[in-house]
Amino acid sequence: MRKISKFFLTASILALVLAQAIPAAQAAPVAAKIGVISIITGAGAAYGEAITNGFKMARDELNAKGEVKIELLIEDSSGKQEQALAAAQKLINSQQVTAILGPTLSTEMKVVGPEANASGVPIMGTSTTAAGITQIGKYVFRNSLPESLAIPASVKKAVAKYNIKSVAMLYGNDDVFTKSGFDSMKKAATDLGLKVTTIEEFQKGQADYKAQLTKIKATKPDAVFCSALYEEGAVILSQARKMGINQPFVGGNGFNSPKVIDIAKEAANGLVVATPWFADKNDPQVKAFVQKYEKAYGKKPDQFAAQAYDALYIMGEALKKAGQADRNKMRDALAGIRNYNGVLGKFSFDAERDVVMDPNVLIIKDGKFQIFN
Amino acid sequence: MINPYYLQIASFILINIILGLSIYITLSTGQLSLGNAGFMSIGAYTSALLTVKVGLPMVAGILAGSLLAFLIGILIGIPTLRLQGVYLAIATLGFGEVVRVLFINWESLTSGAVGIAGIPHLGRTMLAGLQERGFSSEQWGLKNNEFISLTIFIILLAITVLLLAFFSRLFASRVGRAFRAIRLDEKAAEAMGIHTTYYKILTFSMGALLAGFAGALFAHVTGYISPADFTYHRAVEILVFAVFGGSEVLWGPVFGALFLTVMPEMLRGMSEYRYFIYGTILVVMMVFRPQGVLDQPLLDRLRGRRGGGGDDAA
Repeated sequence: MRKISKFFLTASILALVLAQAIPAAQAAPVAAKIGVISIITGAGAAYGEAITNGFKMARDELNAKGEVKIELLIEDSSGKQEQALAAAQKLINSQQVTAILGPTLSTEMKVVGPEANASGVPIMGTSTTAAGITQIGKYVFRNSLPESLAIPASVKKAVAKYNIKSVAMLYGNDDVFTKSGFDSMKKAATDLGLKVTTIEEFQKGQADYKAQLTKIKATKPDAVFCSALYEEGAVILSQARKMGINQPFVGGNGFNSPKVIDIAKEAANGLVVATPWFADKNDPQVKAFVQKYEKAYGKKPDQFAAQAYDALYIMGEALKKAGQADRNKMRDALAGIRNYNGVLGKFSFDAERDVVMDPNVLIIKDGKFQIFN
Repeated sequence: MINPYYLQIASFILINIILGLSIYITLSTGQLSLGNAGFMSIGAYTSALLTVKVGLPMVAGILAGSLLAFLIGILIGIPTLRLQGVYLAIATLGFGEVVRVLFINWESLTSGAVGIAGIPHLGRTMLAGLQERGFSSEQWGLKNNEFISLTIFIILLAITVLLLAFFSRLFASRVGRAFRAIRLDEKAAEAMGIHTTYYKILTFSMGALLAGFAGALFAHVTGYISPADFTYHRAVEILVFAVFGGSEVLWGPVFGALFLTVMPEMLRGMSEYRYFIYGTILVVMMVFRPQGVLDQPLLDRLRGRRGGGGDDAA
């Protein structure tokens, strides 16, 4: 304890001396350490890569502007709760970060969130879409569009456009992401008074969906609501089209990947998804981001990169408002963020620190994602 | 310095030691079980559901979870222990998967893949209990999160030490010798008058009990569980603690759990290479020490050196 306060004392004296040494023309940037918990190794590493790329790009841009000086400390969770918790403890207690971005999965957040909340460290998920995340406590935020907001948007638009009266549902029941997506779908269907013809389940990594699809086909629904990740989703689409199920598909956020088109090819046409991120959006800010990201990392940014990019900008905004690297001031500043204009569009936190934004509803048409009207 | 980070790692090490012990006990009669992740999940879910939905105190939940795992261990043990070697491994692996799929599909009770959140936390409950009685962590010069981590660590340490003491006594006893006799040669053991079925079911269900106990503790240390925590990866991980550390001596799984939990943390600096190195170490160790890092000759030698005056025959 004494050692640390001594260190801080010398550090702050040093900082004071330095601040005076620099000509007072320019205010010193607000410096802060921000911890990142992401999946660097293991099955979800592709998400972690996109996310950390987004963070790094935002950090470089923010630091170049000179108003804030953000140091990112990136820790791996390999997608496991225990690892995420250990990483969070390290960031909170050993490295004394001001705030944490991440972890990647909702399951990890359910373990890490309470700990960060109890320690008074603001934590913001950039890819946690399950229900009940920000309800963990007043230090827990997220900027990732929850399924409960995304799915009703796409369902509503599809129902209006195709005059849907009855639906069949298909979902992965062993994954927290597809399961909570399904819960939102079911709620949206009930709210709109749709008739549910059948509910079918599948498991992660399944290769053959003909049994479920045959049942769905027999019930003759107007549309199929499918909560799946793109790996399974693309295969489902392709098999459904081959079996002559040509009804529109409405998918969750996990379905929203260019890989769906790569895998399912023409069968992907007619898939409707709601997403916070649309890379071909006609917006100068989005275009600049996509171009810069492609140049730096050799591929188009996906929604995880875009969400991470915006998240760090929101952190930067809060840091400026807080004026110093203080955990409580950061929390209050974050909670006050309204109408921030990022690459995902206009973003606000609601009173429960959850997301307020209008999702883009997209449809795959002629082999690419387009705005669905 | 009481750093919650180190205490957190230490707590996971202790839980992993209990898991390592659970598989060590079943291995001590020469049975290879891959069902311990299943027993772990039974303990975790029972305790979580009893505390969250019924509102029982945590101690009752943990005891009930362990007990249920023990009973199911006996039930599963009686038919499956007719199998040996890989056949037993496959049967128990199947059992673990059945349990996991049951938790996924029994949605009204377990909320399926979404898991159970908001499980009473061991440390936070202790802190709240103390504050109710007018104490505060500041009295001991600790911050709240330091107190929470320290409490968990001390409780788990006490439990682990007690368990180790119990089992080292047990393995030195007549029962322990019976276990070893069965492992070395089941037929010969039977011919010597050892009731092999009884002892095999005893070790199997004791392993289940410990796994369920560790699972219940795990649920109350992380505060959240889902079926994805108890896949066959977990079963293999538990097995590796014992096999890597040494499956012939009690200290083997202890060392295995310690080393294999600390290792990925030490390698954090290597970021994406860390599990690569972890895997390499496992492969190298298995090539050069297939019996595990610790075995009896090595322990004797270590003891001899430390004791100084001991016999140096080893």
